[in-house]
Amino acid sequence: MRSGSPAFRQTLLLIEDDAQIRRFLRQSMENEGFDVREATTLADGLVDAGTARPDLVVLDLSLPDGDGKQFVHEFRSWAQIPVLVLSARSAEGEKIAALEAGADDYLTKPFSTGELLARVRALLRRAAATREGEPATVRFGDVVVDRSRRLVSRAGQPVHLTDIEYRILLCLLGNADRVVTQRQLLTEVWGQAYLERSHYLRIHISHLRQKLEEDSARPRFILTETGVGYRFMPPANAPD
Amino acid sequence: MRPDGVISSHPVVRRRWRLGGLSAALLPSAIALVLWPLASWLAPANIVMVFLLGVVVVAYYGNRRAGVVAAVLSVALFDFLYVPPQFSFAVNDIQYLLTFAVMLAVALTIGQLTNALRQRADDAEQRATERAALFGLAASLAGSMTREMCADSVASFLRDQLQGGCTVLVPDDDGHLSPLSEATGYALSQAERAAAQTAYDRSAEFDARQLGRDDGERVLLVLRGATRNRGVLAVAAAEAAPSLAGRIELLRAVADLLATALERIHYVEVAAQSDLVMRDERLRGRILAALSHDVRTPLTSIFGLAESIARSPQLADPRLRQTAQALQDQAMRLNTMVSNVLDMARLQSGSVRLRCEWQPLEEVVGASIRHSEPALGDHQVELQLPADLPLLHIDAVLMERVLSNLLENAAKYSPAGSRIRLSAQMQDECAEICVDDNGPGFAAGRESELFELFERGVSEGTVSGMGIGLAICKTIVEAHGGSIDATRVPPATDAGEALRGARVVIRLPLGTPPLVETEMGEQP
Repeated sequence: MRSGSPAFRQTLLLIEDDAQIRRFLRQSMENEGFDVREATTLADGLVDAGTARPDLVVLDLSLPDGDGKQFVHEFRSWAQIPVLVLSARSAEGEKIAALEAGADDYLTKPFSTGELLARVRALLRRAAATREGEPATVRFGDVVVDRSRRLVSRAGQPVHLTDIEYRILLCLLGNADRVVTQRQLLTEVWGQAYLERSHYLRIHISHLRQKLEEDSARPRFILTETGVGYRFMPPANAPD
Repeated sequence: MRPDGVISSHPVVRRRWRLGGLSAALLPSAIALVLWPLASWLAPANIVMVFLLGVVVVAYYGNRRAGVVAAVLSVALFDFLYVPPQFSFAVNDIQYLLTFAVMLAVALTIGQLTNALRQRADDAEQRATERAALFGLAASLAGSMTREMCADSVASFLRDQLQGGCTVLVPDDDGHLSPLSEATGYALSQAERAAAQTAYDRSAEFDARQLGRDDGERVLLVLRGATRNRGVLAVAAAEAAPSLAGRIELLRAVADLLATALERIHYVEVAAQSDLVMRDERLRGRILAALSHDVRTPLTSIFGLAESIARSPQLADPRLRQTAQALQDQAMRLNTMVSNVLDMARLQSGSVRLRCEWQPLEEVVGASIRHSEPALGDHQVELQLPADLPLLHIDAVLMERVLSNLLENAAKYSPAGSRIRLSAQMQDECAEICVDDNGPGFAAGRESELFELFERGVSEGTVSGMGIGLAICKTIVEAHGGSIDATRVPPATDAGEALRGARVVIRLPLGTPPLVETEMGEQP
């Protein structure tokens, strides 16, 4: 009942079968000022997603009644609402499948609630920014990227990026706070024919880090999600 | 009493021989007796004809020798009884000598021809019997489900066809032959066993002479399968049975059938085995996945619930907040431990397949440091990675686990706030990655034990961990074809202040990284 509350409250849909996990997540989310809807199965979740019109979906990938990837796929066919998936460690394949079906981000169990809330806020902010249109200029660290003029500078000095590096950077910036899988990046930057050449991607990312990060071995903005892909983390959303 | 020239000792044939021997003597005499009262009515030429008929009958039913005996006897009886003077071998008319000569010649020739014909018919009949028996053997071998059943089929075939005994020797995994069932066959002597082994190893055939027995009673036949030898068939003729030498073709056919059957059984077993292994692995994988999910769900709850207490604004007592945080830490530690145990189980069951790709080491190192940040606390990680390190062909997820484990270990066993150094260099076709700390180092002499399951470097109880971390590292690194060793940091190797603690060295083989085309406009 958004109209009932004085302030604009955002609704989160939580699809998780474990009651305890739902309990503490609901509690923390409500403390943060979100309305929370709960569903325990994928089937209920899909119905709720249609009726409750949530602003974001948190989905456990290991639900007993089916395939989380299928859910994301179906959900994405009619909604652009961000989806954050929860998954077990050492299940990279599952994460990649969900991300490629259209999920925006993932967290590995057990996770910190603080981390989850930070990711949720980042995704909501991102969704809002997308609706309003993204700004042409992005700043992170001492780097400024002016997308309208294709200019990249660091500490006031212009940085030369090759074509491919710039396209990778654009793809990452355009998906800020989301995990972009290797496959998505390869398709976006090189095209389908290059899917087998993931080492190209790694080498160019490494060059990009050398040019834009303070310490390329300890990147702060262009992060590796090992076995899955990459994530651009804007400075405002870095966890405390 | 063995018929010469007759290879077969088929019972029917033997009976026929006895009949022939008897009739060789009896039939000409009977003819002589029957013709006696008619002697005055019959011309001598007709009497000769009847005697010749008798020889044909004897030659047909008897053997060659019986034919000869009958021929000679017929001539003698004709002379004695019908040629004047009667009851004497003397001859009045000299012309009868020609009659005797022609009669003998004709009798012998007819006898020979008839006997040869008979022989051929016998052989054909015997071959037909053998062939039928071979078909029967093939059918029974095709239906045999075990090696023992095969051996029994062959044994009963050889007993029926050759009155021989046999033993089938099959190799074990190391290629050593052993008899399949000693009870049914005959027991091989030590020398025969050795000869069988040689025959098997060299795919050669041994006959009796090579076995030191030239009586033709032992034959060793290698069972040749399509891919390799399947064993040896040792055949022994019974005491009274004829030599095996003439039956070698038949024995080879038997050996081929047996080899095919043994090979089929071998592949059936292989298929069943791999099916079992597969089902086993699938089950293990499912159990591990279920376990992993079932353990992590309550851990996630404990962690989250503790965190929500710690973050709760209503919580005024700082000690309670600390308790909640400790609960959180312990839950996380338990999670690490469970993850390690499950990973180890997964790695050891072989259900983990490496997904190696060409990776810059820097990226994996960066991800490991980020992953182990909470465990590193206030330790500083110093990196020494050469810029020209080539790409490594590694599974990034697993290698990140190795480096995280080593970093967390270093943090755990060295004083708070001390430095940890991660360095890499190329060394003899290998990438050498070292993780050094400033702790007490590993106990001398026990370095290799560290990587065994549930070994702990330091016996004190202040630092927790099940020691499984290093075992996982070892398993993963070795799966990459590399090695891992625990040593000490060598004293003052570099310009910076040297660390004095433990060093873990990983060596990974350098491959040939794929060429990456440089892009147009790439800066030098």
